[in-house]
Amino acid sequence: MREKLLIGRLIDTGSPVHRLDPRAKMTAMLLYAVMVMAARSWPALLCLTAFSVLIMILTRIPLRMYLKATRPLRVLMLFILIVQCLAVKGGSVLVAAGSWHLDSAGLAAGVYAVMRMGLLVSFTAMLTFTTSPGQLNQALEGMLRPFERAGIPAERLSLMTGIALRFIPAILDEAQTIMKAQASRGADLKELPWKGKARMLTALLVPVTVGAFRRAEDLTASMESRGYRIGAPRTRYRPLVWGQGETWFVGAFVLMCLVVIWIGFN
Amino acid sequence: MAIQLEHVSYTYDARSLLRQTALQDVNLELAEGLLTGIAGASGSGKSTLLQLLNGILLPTEGTVRVLDVTLIAGRKPPKLASLRRRVGLVFQFPEQQLFAATLEEDLIFGPLNFGASPEDAARRARKAVGQMGLDEALLSRHPLQLSGGQRRKAAIASVLAMDPDILVLDEPGATLDQVSRMELTQLLHRLCREEGKTVIIVTHRLDELLPYADLWMIMHEGRAVFQGTTRGLVDEARQLPGYGLSVPQPIQYWLELEEAYGLQTEEPCLSPSGLAERLTQLAFTEAKKARAYA
Repeated sequence: MREKLLIGRLIDTGSPVHRLDPRAKMTAMLLYAVMVMAARSWPALLCLTAFSVLIMILTRIPLRMYLKATRPLRVLMLFILIVQCLAVKGGSVLVAAGSWHLDSAGLAAGVYAVMRMGLLVSFTAMLTFTTSPGQLNQALEGMLRPFERAGIPAERLSLMTGIALRFIPAILDEAQTIMKAQASRGADLKELPWKGKARMLTALLVPVTVGAFRRAEDLTASMESRGYRIGAPRTRYRPLVWGQGETWFVGAFVLMCLVVIWIGFN
Repeated sequence: MAIQLEHVSYTYDARSLLRQTALQDVNLELAEGLLTGIAGASGSGKSTLLQLLNGILLPTEGTVRVLDVTLIAGRKPPKLASLRRRVGLVFQFPEQQLFAATLEEDLIFGPLNFGASPEDAARRARKAVGQMGLDEALLSRHPLQLSGGQRRKAAIASVLAMDPDILVLDEPGATLDQVSRMELTQLLHRLCREEGKTVIIVTHRLDELLPYADLWMIMHEGRAVFQGTTRGLVDEARQLPGYGLSVPQPIQYWLELEEAYGLQTEEPCLSPSGLAERLTQLAFTEAKKARAYA
């Protein structure tokens, strides 16, 4: 199960992108996400794709890993493509069968939507492929810190996110162990009919949820027993450092935004 | 042959950058009706090896033969239900192995899946609970309401209830007290000797299993670095620290006795009572000799 879930896992290749301050990567990702949503033309999307590939190459992680990251969403992407093809009408008729016809506008809208989703998922996977959950957490806290005056609890939020990120693989492992225990006693999900599969998956919910609560309780007790307290002054083992590389990295994304906006106006 | 492994390797996440090799070129042959101990430092591949025997994991290289089922790397495996009915696997963490609403439901889960009638499954559940020394009153409780030791025993009982031909146990005594551990080892020994079951136990407490095991396998960094009888293990004991294991105390004492009295050809006595008895015999012989000289 974990083997299939690539997003959220660090792949350390020691590239320059890995070494960047996570705040820079997070800012860049936000800019990228906004641009992907705002891009309304083929040239803009192609420009974004080219930029994505360039940054992905810089991470030294094989491109197929980014493609793999989109795999869990392939059914949703196909669904969106079909819905757009069926719902959007206009332009020239590409295929006709009786009263139904596929229009060029529908196909274009479908491909747009799928491309956007693919770009967004594969490229944002770059953030988790190149940054450890601890660093991500630290970056989130750093970025939220200025909003503390407005009543946003930065430390609390980053702690919650950090724990949630750490819990995803742990809970998946727990579910997998229970599935193994069920399989070893004659209820292998792969060999069961669909009805049996559904029943076994439902049976997983209770022990996995109970297990997650137990883990959470153990974790809080362990943190409290070692003196953790929200709001207590605390130094960082590895303080975040914003250097010239980070400025260039974010600068490149700002430039990309300007190019995409310029394409949009022309 | 109950179990045969030929050049077996296993790699987790084999097709990704995160691949991790857990077993490398392992060869193993185990006859039916023997009790085998497997030891090794943490991360040496013991748990992975056990999961291959039940078809939970399939080899990424080599061939695994268990009873009449053959699993070949890269080939579609046959239906595994018959293998799992005959190979009972107790996992390392029992709390993750119990998933039903009550202990009884958990215990009858296996027998029902393998075709037992509800009455027969309930009878087997009660027998297994008795074998593990658990109170029948616990049958109606949720598994998470049991203590750590009770959960461990329940997990073992859930496998005993299936009455498998081969019992594979991953550190079954890890959270049990000494008396329960001893009772469990004796039960497994009895099942092996009286009912002809093949028993494979992964353990970090070699000293407790030494008097009972017929064969030993030592794992180190995914490889089987030793396979042989208990006598063979005693002869190779000085290599154990190199594999991240300490020499078990009974073996240490026996080696000292061997050296002092020249007992190298003798079958080692590795239980505390066996050692004490042999020591008394030796002292008696020495005393007799001393009297004869006098």
